[in-house]
Amino acid sequence: MSATTLRRPALPSSGAKLVNVLKANRSARIMSWISLLVAWQLATLVIPSELIPPPAQVLEFMWNEVRAVTVAPETLYMSFGLSFERLGVGLAIAFAIGTPIGLAMGMYKPVEHFLHDFVVVGLAMPSLVWALVAGMWFGFGNLAPVITVTLAAVTFVVINIAEGVRNVPKELLDMSAAYGVSRWRTIRHVIFPSLMPFFFAALRYGFANAWKGLVLAEVWASTSGAGWVIKFWYDAHRSQGIVGYALFFILVAILIERLVFGRLSNYVFRWRATTSREIPEPASEAPAKEGA
Amino acid sequence: MATIRLEKLRKEFITDDSKVVALNDVSFEVSGQEFVSVIGPSGCGKSTLLNILSGIETATSGKLEITEGERQARLGYVFQAARLLPWRTVMDNLLFVQDVRDKETRERCQRYLEMVELGHTGKQYPSQLSGGMQQRAGIARAFSTEPDLLLMDEPFSHLDAITGRSLRRELHELWTRTKKTVLFVTHDVTEAVELSTRILMFAKGGHLVEEVTMDLPFPRDATSDEVALARADIMRRFEALDLVAT
Repeated sequence: MSATTLRRPALPSSGAKLVNVLKANRSARIMSWISLLVAWQLATLVIPSELIPPPAQVLEFMWNEVRAVTVAPETLYMSFGLSFERLGVGLAIAFAIGTPIGLAMGMYKPVEHFLHDFVVVGLAMPSLVWALVAGMWFGFGNLAPVITVTLAAVTFVVINIAEGVRNVPKELLDMSAAYGVSRWRTIRHVIFPSLMPFFFAALRYGFANAWKGLVLAEVWASTSGAGWVIKFWYDAHRSQGIVGYALFFILVAILIERLVFGRLSNYVFRWRATTSREIPEPASEAPAKEGA
Repeated sequence: MATIRLEKLRKEFITDDSKVVALNDVSFEVSGQEFVSVIGPSGCGKSTLLNILSGIETATSGKLEITEGERQARLGYVFQAARLLPWRTVMDNLLFVQDVRDKETRERCQRYLEMVELGHTGKQYPSQLSGGMQQRAGIARAFSTEPDLLLMDEPFSHLDAITGRSLRRELHELWTRTKKTVLFVTHDVTEAVELSTRILMFAKGGHLVEEVTMDLPFPRDATSDEVALARADIMRRFEALDLVAT
């Protein structure tokens, strides 16, 4: 057995500590936001406030909106509530249509070849086009935004579910067959859980694309919802309203990502390895017993 | 204890431009408390044989019977990798393959987990276990269905030597205690000699070329002279056939 002498590392100086703090990932991210705010504030000194409102003005606007103090026809809660309703219905339709199509594409080659080009077109299509087309077909109201959400999300659902079906682990299906596990139990305990990562990918990408499409549809083809309110502020020449609402969009997207998708994903994928939860080897595998 | 009866079992795979014979009219019988190993070089049809026996694949021709008295025998299968459902706990993995999932079944699963020294891991996920522990969970799963016949496909080949040795010992104890019929596929001749009552030697092209009865007394020590001599004898037989095992 060899002996090693461990030396206590020298304590870093306060200057080195500051450099380490600044070099940390979290600091870099905080600094990027502070830099943006500083640049924004500086820009307002040279650019008229009708074009770029000062951060304080935007914050005041946002605070008023949060308190439901607004001159817009819809409060923040009404507009986002309505938009979420449309988003929810649109996404539900996208999953209801996209899941069986994705399953069929993943399972049957002819279906995949038949639909391949449409899927590629669907993925490449900008949400703006869906918003305009839906507006043209369905006019003003709830239908155009809902259809836009569905059209913007459905291809992501199809492509991810199809990919998921192709990635169901064959060795687990064989294991189930070898033990004579029923078809329904195999679908429920093998196929469905193995589709979950792809389902989540569909949900995240579908949501992101649908959210953009929804806002555009509400700008062009609606008289209500968060997208329409941002248009209201545009028509009213209130730059703080436009920027403030844009920030609400970002905040809402981040909140949904962190609070809904993030937590749901942590729960659904709780079985994935985490080193801190690993349990120790039992004594029987220790070499000492082997030699006994 | 089950009986396996194969008569001229044949399996052919048709690829784009050729036909590959994986099993070439194989006939043998295994019954009672036998531990039969199937050995041979890579590509001799060992795993295909187990896949056909378990119903994962179907034979091209021939006759196959797996019975327990008058009824169809119940099978347990231990794979090369543990093949546990990663999203289910160890206990749920055992319950997944049971026909009935009542309190009694749960207790039986727990008993088999304890037999392989995993009694404390029922609520853990497979990713929290080491490779050896996962494989033991796979063995517990196979035994927990109380099968008449246990099929094992190179179950220790992915493990380090020490863990493999420990598991071989545990498997032998379980087999002695439960009196199952075992068909054990391996490419490790020493392992086959250590565990088996009979060895079936397969050659490339899916031929069953020889059967060797192992009458060394149990328990056998893999490092003993007797096992080394028996291993050398098997290797000589392969060499005589010009089919050196890999």
